[in-house]
Amino acid sequence: MIRIRDLRMSYHTAQAEQQAVKGVSLDVPEGAFYTLLGPSGCGKTTTLRCVAGLERPDEGEIAIGDQIVFSSERNIFVPPHERNIGMVFQSYAIWPHMSVFENIAFPLRYKRPKPSSSEIRERVMRALALVRLDGLQDRPAPYLSGGQQQRLAVARALVAEPRVLLLDEPLSNLDAKLRDEMRLELREVVARLKVTTLFVTHEQIEALTMSDTIAVMRDGVIVQQGAPADIYARPSQPFVADFIGRTNMIAGRVVALSGSNGARQASVETPFGTLQCRAQDGVASGDAVSVTVRPENVAVAEAGQGEANTVAGTVEATVFLGNMLDCIVAVGGERLHIQLHPSAAPACGARVSLRLPAEHCLAMRR
Amino acid sequence: MVRSAAIASAATGAPLEGRRVSHHEAGRRHFDTARAAAITIATLACVAVAVLLATILWLSFTDGTPGDPQLGYTLAHYQEIFFDAFTYRVLGNTLVFLVVTLIVAFALALPMAWLVERTDFPGRSVVFTLMTVALLIPGFAVALGWLFLLHPRIGLVNQALMALFGLSAAPFNIATIVGMGIIEGLSLTPITFIMTSVVLRSMDPALEEAAAMSGARPWQAVLRVTLRVLWPGLLAAAIYVSAICFAAFDVPAILGLTNRIYTFSTYVFRQLTPTEGPPEYGGVATLSMIMLAIAIGMSWAYRVVQRQAPRYAVVTGKAYRPRTFALGRAKTPAIAFVVAYFLVSQALPLMMLGWAAALPFLQTPSTEAFAQLSLGNFRSIPTELLLRSVVNTAILMVTVPTATLVASLAISWVVLRAKARGAALFDFFAFLPVTVPPIVFSVAALLLALFALRGILPIYGTIWILILVYAIARLSYGTRMTNSALIQIHRELDEAAQVSGAGTFGVIRSVLLPLLAPTVLYAWIWIALLSFRELTLPVVLSTGNNLPFSMLVWSYAQSSSYGRASAAALIMLALMTPILLLYWLVARRVGILSPR
Repeated sequence: MIRIRDLRMSYHTAQAEQQAVKGVSLDVPEGAFYTLLGPSGCGKTTTLRCVAGLERPDEGEIAIGDQIVFSSERNIFVPPHERNIGMVFQSYAIWPHMSVFENIAFPLRYKRPKPSSSEIRERVMRALALVRLDGLQDRPAPYLSGGQQQRLAVARALVAEPRVLLLDEPLSNLDAKLRDEMRLELREVVARLKVTTLFVTHEQIEALTMSDTIAVMRDGVIVQQGAPADIYARPSQPFVADFIGRTNMIAGRVVALSGSNGARQASVETPFGTLQCRAQDGVASGDAVSVTVRPENVAVAEAGQGEANTVAGTVEATVFLGNMLDCIVAVGGERLHIQLHPSAAPACGARVSLRLPAEHCLAMRR
Repeated sequence: MVRSAAIASAATGAPLEGRRVSHHEAGRRHFDTARAAAITIATLACVAVAVLLATILWLSFTDGTPGDPQLGYTLAHYQEIFFDAFTYRVLGNTLVFLVVTLIVAFALALPMAWLVERTDFPGRSVVFTLMTVALLIPGFAVALGWLFLLHPRIGLVNQALMALFGLSAAPFNIATIVGMGIIEGLSLTPITFIMTSVVLRSMDPALEEAAAMSGARPWQAVLRVTLRVLWPGLLAAAIYVSAICFAAFDVPAILGLTNRIYTFSTYVFRQLTPTEGPPEYGGVATLSMIMLAIAIGMSWAYRVVQRQAPRYAVVTGKAYRPRTFALGRAKTPAIAFVVAYFLVSQALPLMMLGWAAALPFLQTPSTEAFAQLSLGNFRSIPTELLLRSVVNTAILMVTVPTATLVASLAISWVVLRAKARGAALFDFFAFLPVTVPPIVFSVAALLLALFALRGILPIYGTIWILILVYAIARLSYGTRMTNSALIQIHRELDEAAQVSGAGTFGVIRSVLLPLLAPTVLYAWIWIALLSFRELTLPVVLSTGNNLPFSMLVWSYAQSSSYGRASAAALIMLALMTPILLLYWLVARRVGILSPR
């Protein structure tokens, strides 16, 4: 539904030229929820704004459905108001001089052919019901709470049945609890309407919970793309591993390799002994690698067990987080974060053995 | 599986093939009418500013009668002016005038600003409202009142004192440089008050408190901390007021022209309308250029000083209320001081206008004088003339704010929203008019109309030339208002309308204009009021047909028909009152009048 080919875009400021997007290509299938995830300044918002037509890229091609909305080669640029899209902005961009009803009716009033006023009314009411704002249609928009404004923004974006829905960090202005609720609600509304969605966020939790596909961006390019579980389990580089979820990075060197591509095993020499790991494709013997292992995959082993991938350390600190316990364990000069059930709290300074399961240790090139 | 295939194809970056291209996509970039209109209007406004200033620059370097086909280029005008001793006399006069004005304005405004901002002085919003009204009362009306009080020959105070003590000469003479400076100082006190009160308000009281904690006595704290911290802000205000004073025309013209005492702006005017012989246009253009250069220098100094100010960074975003000083027993004298200012600077001269208007000739109050009170002066103003000038002023009051704000909105939109090339250039040209003294603008417009536009656009003598030059002179104010209002409208509000299907025109009409409306309305009325009281621009440009009301007062005053001049000035003030009231209502709603 959305296809982007080799998109490039620079900002010209008084001082310098800033390359925001350096060759992004992606495909969002019809009905999919596709997320651009990355730290601020990675080009994700610029990419989204190019799809909306709010920025004019320097190069590349963008198609929405059958329509090419931008092509540098063919000199096509369809302005935003002719792209038939819905968008939810970070600030919600609720027009303060209009009522709730007028805010939602706005896209219908500019739709061609223009729907009749009774149809507009009916569709606005349906959109209000969709986001559970029924009964608030006559209220001046500024008198809504943050969560209600957010829902209003969603209703306005969807009321004209756009081909695609663009979400620009729509949850970032909500407080934590409301954000959790809205995350589910938004995902549910979008799923119900089966509208193709391009979502931009820097919150990995939002990306993981809402998306069909995540594209992780860094410095203007997509560094990895895949289903949430895939990206979480098999990050392609240390940056991705670190950005999505928390992880431990252990520097090491490959001393031996076995198996074939797709299922390769490596022995990695680290500051606290040799670890057996899964190896990323392309890792060769002798390479300097990072071994990543997620805190929740590290287990406290029975003391004295001499099996592989078991290391001894000292508990340095524990942080009680309610549903779990965050532990920092010093192991041979490195610090490993591990997660434990609160009931199994070790004392600070206690000696523990940690088991790093080979299937959860991934060696990737640095 | 379909999904992963698509992802795979995306990853390879293969071009999009075989997609349908509908006819309007092939239409390349869309022509955006609203955008083109905005850029055109903004360009026209900026070109008008540039052309006006270019005209005087060009004429200052030409010899012979402008319009002559064999026009030569020369530096003679500059030489002549630089070697003319009278130029330096006028410059000296202007300097004295400026210094006296600054002393009077700051001596009155600073204590009042301090009282209102930093003490428990009662009725602060009343003071602000009165100051705003005083800002709008035409300076020439007030100057006329002072003439009736302190003129060496006709001044009533002089007459009374001479009669009382048998003096052979008048004890006071307002028609001197110092006298003009004092009156100008009184009339610039409101703007000085408003500027300095902003500076005082922005000061963090914690700085004074810290000085007190460190053992400084209150007066030491004021000297060592308060004044030092406020210094850049006050200096900037002083330069700003100096620039207004340097360009001032009303007061020095009413008080000094008949006695041939000139400041720079009245000197330019006299050169343009010499008492004998035809004007020497090249010389006038050159004088205007020199005046412009000085004014630009002042404006540059203002910017430099203002840029220094943030180094002190006392304007924190914190919502503090500066510590207020309890006046105690000093409250009564403080109130008396402020009341006396308004009475002496505004009420007294305006009352004099009433007295002069009701008498066939000016005389000290006596039984005979009271017996002669009549409406004769009001009746003697020809109705046709009165109506024509009222209509002209009404036309100006409607068209000028409209034209100014349309241009200002276009410029602000182009600069802040259109992502157009050369946006900074628009900003520069829109800023320029504030630095140009009004008399220079009117000279430029006159020369342009007389010598460049003659055949092409015969606007001289019509209301159009006034509309044009009034609107351009207010462009800086207009864009400053629309810029700050537009900056406050979050960009995503526009963008949300765009993705909702609204084109540029739709965004402007449905989102921007409704949100800008309060500011635009406020600025509209303000510019209308300024157009109402404007004298300097029409004094050079108006002829019989396009005479605005202010010129009626001016013409009578120039021909020493002081009774009729006063009557006309009073009619003018009466007509202004309902608009002032409207302004006050709007300003209160927009929240601009509220001091905090």
